Amino acid sequence: MAGVWIFAENGEQIRELLHIGRQLAAMMGTTVSVLTSQDRDRARDYIDHGADEIMLLVPLAEDQSPDVYIPLITEEAQKRDPDLILVSATFRGKDMAARIAARLDTGLCSGCMALNFDEESKTLVMERLVYGGAGVQTVTCTTRPATVTVLPGTYEPAIPEAGRRGQVRELPAPAPSAVKVMEKRAKEREARDISEARVVVCVGRGVSKREDIALARQLAEVLEGEIACTRPISEEYHWLPEELCIGLSGAQVKPDLYMGLGVSGQVQHVTGIRNARVIAVVNKDEKAPIFEAADFGIVGDLYDVVPKLIAELEK
Amino acid sequence: MPTIIACFKWVVDEAYIRKGPSGELDFSSVDYKIGEYDRNAIEEAVRLKEASGGSAIAATVGLPEATKGIKDALSRGTDQAYFIADPSFSNLESSQTAAILAEVIRSRIQSYDLIICGEGSSDLYAQQVGPRLAENLGIPCISFVRKIALEGKQVILERRVEEGIEIIAAPTPALVTVLPDINIPRIPGVRDTLTASKKPVVTIKKDELPPISEARLQTIKLTASRMERTCEKFGTDAAEIGRFVGSLRKKGVIR
Repeated sequence: MAGVWIFAENGEQIRELLHIGRQLAAMMGTTVSVLTSQDRDRARDYIDHGADEIMLLVPLAEDQSPDVYIPLITEEAQKRDPDLILVSATFRGKDMAARIAARLDTGLCSGCMALNFDEESKTLVMERLVYGGAGVQTVTCTTRPATVTVLPGTYEPAIPEAGRRGQVRELPAPAPSAVKVMEKRAKEREARDISEARVVVCVGRGVSKREDIALARQLAEVLEGEIACTRPISEEYHWLPEELCIGLSGAQVKPDLYMGLGVSGQVQHVTGIRNARVIAVVNKDEKAPIFEAADFGIVGDLYDVVPKLIAELEK
Repeated sequence: MPTIIACFKWVVDEAYIRKGPSGELDFSSVDYKIGEYDRNAIEEAVRLKEASGGSAIAATVGLPEATKGIKDALSRGTDQAYFIADPSFSNLESSQTAAILAEVIRSRIQSYDLIICGEGSSDLYAQQVGPRLAENLGIPCISFVRKIALEGKQVILERRVEEGIEIIAAPTPALVTVLPDINIPRIPGVRDTLTASKKPVVTIKKDELPPISEARLQTIKLTASRMERTCEKFGTDAAEIGRFVGSLRKKGVIR
């Protein structure tokens, strides 16, 4: 038994995975290890948050990406036989987890949204969404280690405990990869992080011109929220940046209020808003599937309704 | 001139899945399609070969019925197809699909420059076949790419990461998984469909392959997902707008 291993790109994600990792390790009677390339000071913080061991990776050269750690993590796992490897489902994380699982010839539960340990059968039972979010698949892994990717924000960060002890172990430097990072470009300025927004106003195909997004922005301003969109708006029309696209393959949001304007409610999009507290929509097509996914829906033309809503909210 | 392989999956069209009376998924009136994200992979392979004069190969693993998908992929501009089919291939898991594709590419196609996969299948969306296939073949893997340029023996890519975009250079052969915003897939015309039926298809059966290992993940349950929402509807006159805003206030979601 070599425990639960955690790999993520940043401290917030590591602390989230420590929350579930710590719980599982307690049930499984094992330890929690964190793989990180950050400095020793952070190691102390992760130990306070529930790690028993920190495996320190040598920081990356400027032209290398975290994939260089794949052979190293695989070798460590082969030597020490962990029970479970938890990876935060970021772009890089998903790629690395699949490749590590392939090298270890083991199963990977991608985008896991519930992770339980069945004490009777001593197995991990995992749930994930399938068919664009229409179905829930429950799986177990038949090989060791079970590998799992978990979307950032699925778990609350672990709460620190005073007086915890842990070890810090340095891993050897990874061999350089033939794949080179030539340049890094930061996100477009307009793209805010909608995954943490309290209110999200989302535009769909019912908005007929690019200029009309201004109407949605006005509503967003009144509601003190952020603007977002469905896939066709960012991908086909390029009216808004990709980062603002909500859906299974885009951002998953969990606002108090999601307000959809002219959103039809394709299952992939609905999956991206399933954790919203309240879903309110405006759509002129009474049969649009979004109404089944909504708490409150106005059947009407958004060009008529949105100005009225703004006036009512400003009262 | 480059050889580009596009992998795809023939999947259930999720828009036709219904929720059964006891919370099960009802597949009785479903139709099938090439996975949404895989259409981008095929389109990109065809665009790259059109730009460079190479060839584009479509490859899929699935049920014999997926022959419709093969025709669709060829209509979308690929030059030939590899169809690995068996009646038992209905619920393959990512590790198995990747192993089968790797075996066929290694033994039958041999020489290629680039493999393109969609970012995930639109049914199970495990997002694993691409990266696992790259590992099985021992070639570089670059995932979530939104721009590809082949330049001699290397490929220059733009890939999405949390902080923005990274420009990557990798030696070929390499495997790339593409994001849906990389292109808008063409819609094949009548002519494309007609020429498609004349293109070569290599069909490979299960018994021509080495034994396939067991699934690494076991599905123990599949149910319809639940969304518990009140689905309350409102009209557009002043009183209804007032009632709508009132409902939001009552829930405490607006200030």
